[in-house]
Amino acid sequence: MDILNHLDFATAFRELSPELGQGLLIALEATLGGFLLAVILSVLIAVGRLSNSKIIRGILVVILEIVRGTPLLVQLVYMFYVAPLLISLVVQFMIPGYQFQLNPLLAGILGLGINYGCYLSEVVRASILSIDKGQTEAALALGYTHRQALWSIVIPQATRQAIPVFGNYLIMMIKDTSLLAFITVNELLLRTQAYASQTFLTIESYTILAIAYLILSLPLSQVVRLLEKRLSTHV
Amino acid sequence: MSKPMIEVAQLHKSFGVHEILKGIDLTVHQGEIVVIIGPSGSGKSTLLRCLNCLELPSSGTVKVEGTSFSDESGRYNEKRVARLRTEIGMVFQGFNLFPMMTAIQNVMAAQIKIRKKSAEEAKKTAEKYLTKVGLAERMNHYPNQLSGGQKQRVAIARALAMEPNIMLFDEATSALDPELVGEVLKVIRELADEGMTMVLVTHEMRFAEEVGDRIIFMDKGVIVEEGKPSDIFNAPKHQRTKLFINQVLHPESEKV
Repeated sequence: MDILNHLDFATAFRELSPELGQGLLIALEATLGGFLLAVILSVLIAVGRLSNSKIIRGILVVILEIVRGTPLLVQLVYMFYVAPLLISLVVQFMIPGYQFQLNPLLAGILGLGINYGCYLSEVVRASILSIDKGQTEAALALGYTHRQALWSIVIPQATRQAIPVFGNYLIMMIKDTSLLAFITVNELLLRTQAYASQTFLTIESYTILAIAYLILSLPLSQVVRLLEKRLSTHV
Repeated sequence: MSKPMIEVAQLHKSFGVHEILKGIDLTVHQGEIVVIIGPSGSGKSTLLRCLNCLELPSSGTVKVEGTSFSDESGRYNEKRVARLRTEIGMVFQGFNLFPMMTAIQNVMAAQIKIRKKSAEEAKKTAEKYLTKVGLAERMNHYPNQLSGGQKQRVAIARALAMEPNIMLFDEATSALDPELVGEVLKVIRELADEGMTMVLVTHEMRFAEEVGDRIIFMDKGVIVEEGKPSDIFNAPKHQRTKLFINQVLHPESEKV
């Protein structure tokens, strides 16, 4: 019970909030970059998986299985610590002594983007398949090629349909940026850890951190719900 | 005879082991209105869809204004097919309007994307054809804000805006509530009066009789009989044609 008497939320809040503010900016940066990459990858992967080429489909299935079969944290660690080593090794054949370095935030963005891109591609693929065949036929009858029909008629409808699900993944990604602490990105969790170990205000620090994430994600969930309603009007 | 717009020769089409079209020969001349009738499963829709290559023929040829869909080596080159399709407008049973676009955007899209027109030009043409189908007031509505008959008229305007030389109608009124059929038929009739070359698949026998220059009766993948509407409807030569026409005109009567 002694601990309870010594709780000092006021101090923790005063000292930790500017840190969290800084960390939040980095987390948002990672989310923005990561999600943009994820969306682009998801559409490309989805289209690739619907292509006629067996080779393209085969390669994509292997990548998807690897990404979905390993933890995101392991992928991030791999991207930050291992991938640069592998790249250095390959390039060293041509340029001796070459050392490739990956900035932690960039590694994080790549890791998050690839991971989420794979999961989102399933959402996009399902949406593409759910679009009525008549849409493609109408476009073809007007003189579109299959590719034109896909990109200018089917995919706009499919992505529109997928946006609410995208929104939920976006919120998940914001929370998952906490994993970037493990690859030395100075986001909220890493800053909180540092502060807690200096001051021993463990309960206070981590409680404030958890509340900070809640404050971030709850309003966003509301926005997603609103978006869902808005977008269902002209489908 | 005026010039042939569509020439079909020995057209066969199979889906798996099922042969849907078993050797169709058909020529449609400029300004002619051909109506294809027949029981469901007779292959009439498949034939219509072969006319703009939405279904690839298993064998045989389809020519549009003298140009075959397949190239010299018998292959269906996508760009070639797409280019030929711009000469043929098609109207579907299910409308197939693009739901994320307003009526006018629906009519403009292909003009800009395929005909490479400027937005203003496309808009002008779109307005012209939407006015023609009686939807000047509804241009900025989304498809889900329109009735079935209005949607189908937008679809017709969308096809016409490409200024095709041939129009295909695939059961254009079958998905409509009965009270909305008239407004769509009226538009089709106007096109007929203007001399558009048309091929229609329809269940509206009275309409077929009235606008058709030639009626084609299909059954089980072959053309059983063709001729002037008055002949087909009043004096069919074949037993199958007789049965079919009797059944559609007097649905309450017993099957023979």
